[in-house]
Amino acid sequence: MAQQPLSSAVPPTDIYGGDEVSALVLDPGYCSTRAGWAGEDVPKSILPSFYGHIGSTNTNLFGDEYLIPREGLEVRNYMNRDSVVEDWDVAPKFWENMLVKRLQPERPTAPGKNGLNDDPKKDGEGDVSMDGATAEAAAEAQEEQEQEKALQENPLLVTEAPWNTSKAREKTTEVIMETWGCPAFWLSRTPTLSAFAAGKATALVIDIGGSNTNVTAVHDGMVLKRSIQRSPVGGLWLSSQIRSMFEHAEPKVALTPTYLIENKTPVDALAPAQARLRKFPFQIADSFRRYEEERVLTEFKESVVEVWRGNPGPYRAQGTEDFIKTQPGRVFEMPDGYNQMWREQRYRASEGMFDESVGYPLPEAERITKEQTIPSLIRAALEAVDVDLRPNLLGNVVVTGATSLINGFNDRLNNELIGMYPGVKIKIHAAGLTSERRFGAWVGGSILSSLGTFHQMWISRKEYEENGPGIVEKRCK
Amino acid sequence: MSSNDLRDVLNLPDSSSASGTPGGSHRPSKKQRLSAPRSNLKGLAREVQSLGGDNPIAIVPEVSSFKKRRLANRKPAARWDLAPFRNSARDDPSLMLRHWRRRDGQHGLQQQEQQQHGTNADASAQPTTEQNGAQVKQEGDNEIEDSAFAKFNVRPSIPQYTDEQYKTHLKSDDWSKEETDYLMELVTDFDVRWPLIWDRYEWNPPATNGVADADGDESKAVVPKQEARSMEDLKSRYYEIAAKMMAAQKPIHVMSQAEFELHEMMLHFNAQQEKARKDFALNALKRSREEAREEESLLLEVKRILARSERFNEERRELYNRLDFPQSEQDISSIKTSQGLQNLLQQLMAADKNKKRRSLMGADNAHPANAAAAAAAAQAQAQAQAQAQAQESSRRESTVASTGATSTPTGGKKKGNQQAERPKLTEKEEQVYGVSHHDRLTSGPVFRSEKINKMFTHKSNQQQQRINNVLLELDIPPKLVMPTVATTQQFEQLFAAVNALLDARKVADKLDTELKLEQAKKAEREAKESSNHGEEDPAQDKSNPDMPVTKGDESASKEDNAETGTTSEAQETTEPAADPNGEEPGTQDPVEGEGSKEAAAEESSGGPHKRSASVLSTTSDKSAKRQKK
Repeated sequence: MAQQPLSSAVPPTDIYGGDEVSALVLDPGYCSTRAGWAGEDVPKSILPSFYGHIGSTNTNLFGDEYLIPREGLEVRNYMNRDSVVEDWDVAPKFWENMLVKRLQPERPTAPGKNGLNDDPKKDGEGDVSMDGATAEAAAEAQEEQEQEKALQENPLLVTEAPWNTSKAREKTTEVIMETWGCPAFWLSRTPTLSAFAAGKATALVIDIGGSNTNVTAVHDGMVLKRSIQRSPVGGLWLSSQIRSMFEHAEPKVALTPTYLIENKTPVDALAPAQARLRKFPFQIADSFRRYEEERVLTEFKESVVEVWRGNPGPYRAQGTEDFIKTQPGRVFEMPDGYNQMWREQRYRASEGMFDESVGYPLPEAERITKEQTIPSLIRAALEAVDVDLRPNLLGNVVVTGATSLINGFNDRLNNELIGMYPGVKIKIHAAGLTSERRFGAWVGGSILSSLGTFHQMWISRKEYEENGPGIVEKRCK
Repeated sequence: MSSNDLRDVLNLPDSSSASGTPGGSHRPSKKQRLSAPRSNLKGLAREVQSLGGDNPIAIVPEVSSFKKRRLANRKPAARWDLAPFRNSARDDPSLMLRHWRRRDGQHGLQQQEQQQHGTNADASAQPTTEQNGAQVKQEGDNEIEDSAFAKFNVRPSIPQYTDEQYKTHLKSDDWSKEETDYLMELVTDFDVRWPLIWDRYEWNPPATNGVADADGDESKAVVPKQEARSMEDLKSRYYEIAAKMMAAQKPIHVMSQAEFELHEMMLHFNAQQEKARKDFALNALKRSREEAREEESLLLEVKRILARSERFNEERRELYNRLDFPQSEQDISSIKTSQGLQNLLQQLMAADKNKKRRSLMGADNAHPANAAAAAAAAQAQAQAQAQAQAQESSRRESTVASTGATSTPTGGKKKGNQQAERPKLTEKEEQVYGVSHHDRLTSGPVFRSEKINKMFTHKSNQQQQRINNVLLELDIPPKLVMPTVATTQQFEQLFAAVNALLDARKVADKLDTELKLEQAKKAEREAKESSNHGEEDPAQDKSNPDMPVTKGDESASKEDNAETGTTSEAQETTEPAADPNGEEPGTQDPVEGEGSKEAAAEESSGGPHKRSASVLSTTSDKSAKRQKK
């Protein structure tokens, strides 16, 4: 026993402060929804928040594996672009699919119903059949009860956008308590959790997600409401920049999603693509195509797009573009085989996040103002908090969100911050691990709900029953 | 057949001799390491391995046994239970969560902990202690542990007040009771974390005019527009309440020291000052990059200046120390010989090295070091040719040497040699390099200030005092603070001028007294002539110097003078010549001439009369003594 570094006999509560109560953590977002067990470092189940809807049978299909070309399939999202749940009919089902079906082991069918115990002589003797009927009924009742108690053993922590409406919060509470019967729950805002994931109680959280970017100051584990700043500058906005970039490229780049390609032959750079497209005997919904296009764009963003770091000069400065043109570019091959070297364009697409005057032209709805660029968001967020907190917040900048993984983002952000606050010590904390950056809020939730000291915070079933769904507003501030 | 044999056959150089390459030094250790596993191999395997020689053949030896078991003990696996537990820190302690716990020996421990917590429960956790009580009752059949983390639930104490207390103590024009209640509620909710309280402070005052009922806003006639409260407003209100409630619950004179301090601090919360401080902080944050950089550089500069002034002060102190004790108390006979001197030099240099003083800034380079200094430095460097120290020692020597003393014979010779080697310098160059020429140098280090001291100490006490008086008048310290070459030269000139002045004054005084004497005699004579006597002895008239001063003894002196008239007269005439000999030996007497004398007399026109009296008195004393003889 002595050789073992950590004895399992004594849980090291004093060190970690952890106390596992097999809680579940659910982190819904516009682009993907994460769910998993508290205390783990990565969510077990990650699904796109887009789901397939088949109109003819009115069925919903949850999960990436169902999003295939199919007749009548329409891709929908249960959230809106503000990361607030919109479709309250689908959301609970979606979440339940993740929390129950994908996280819990398949429950065996009750022995009375699985067909193995069927008595072949059942029909012959009346009393036996009577017994069987009662047993069956009892089993059915029990099963129903069991199904109802699907999450009865697990406290649940759900994340929400900091601007979540109180109506949506109460609705969430109802779903958790009424539909799933959780013993306890908690609603927590994503910036707080992202800060926790970085190991900080006080931080300026810059969360660059899929549909939204928000900058929020967190003080002592609580969101400062006045500091919440958000803008649509996120992954999807970047995608529309890239679409516009494809439009404005010299030979126009066609965005053909992968599912349409039957076969392709390699072609030289800038040569027209030679690919045979697949034909489907049914209509493919636009939403599906858009979803598939987004996949290609995601790959493009991951491998090509880069943020201009600000050296030797700002991007919009004279000569910067010429300088970049002399630098090595990156080749990207579209699904149809078309390929091209991208040089200054790959910087220009992301530059709009920092400088509204640069970037590719967008339709009116997606155009952003100066106030929506990231530096302005940070400035506005800091303006809205007490002066005494600002230096501390700037020393604890937490960067999270998948879009922040774009190459050079942190360097640029650091440069911007130093330019904005020259006299202050600035430190950016960005998780090195991709999964921690992508699922920052979930990881924070996982940490929070496995802490021993957090167990006094849970809103219990009893409290919910006494106060109704309004309790969430009172407790989860 | 080993690799060496192979090498022999193929005429390759021996591996050991080939290991002269840079990497070769690492080889032996590697070889040793490799030889150990090789010895384990047997039979053919060893033969094959030895073919590789020093470059081992990459054969992974097969390990036939499995990894050893990690755990040696064969105790049965521990049993774990999914045990339910409560958390007494909860508002609703009935919630039972479950976690995995080892079955053995845990219950007793947990129970103890729980008991302890039960007794420690403070007033704020009143309901939980009741709950604990209920729990203890149930203990018999089911023991439910309390969370070990419950003890971490700490709540700050927030002042409470009743309606009456509010009316008597806490009324404020600015704050309604409702708003105060709202503030206290927020403070409780956020555990006195002011940034959060201020962040969430959204007070909507109820209607003040008209009845607020459910149908709508129409009935709320006036909803006062509440200006946003600043954090300082909230703080000052809260601290006011807290201080007042503290005093209300416990009179000030009963409070303990800590309590009293807290009370005072809360009572004297200065919102204005806080606001000013925050404005200041805001300004500091709003600095531009240039301003920030400038401030940074200024701070650096200040730091450097401080460091430099410290060092400067230290050096100056050291210098003072040297100047204060120019004559060492020690026996100097040891350094009177050239051998001893050499030793001393070496000692000094060693001391210098030990100190490792850094050279001074550029100002020091311009320090006028004279030729003697350079020569002395060169002499010092004769032993150690460290170039870096040249400047150092020259500085040292320059402060020390050059009192116009002669150097030792050997030093003189060396100097002569070195000067012969040197090219002739023009006057300008000499100035640039700080070269100067001296007649003679005494042996050993001499302070330059010593020269002045010498000039000073050679004078008589009286003379010294007079010189001091003059210097005092001119506001010049008698001892030079910084005896550089230039200053000493100037000082010497000044000194000569002062001497000349004093001499001139003395002569002037003397003439003055003579004149007066003569006048007095004349007057006396005339008086005598006019009165009883027709004619008197002219000698007696002439030799009556004491007349104006010692009028009391007039008659006596008259008689004396009558006796020794001729002798006194003779002495009188010799006195101007004799006096300088007695009082100021070796000074240039009236070389400066009569012109300067007149100028000096004019210059210190205020002084002469006063001093002439004293001069007169001294001369009269002397004459009296002589007369006695």
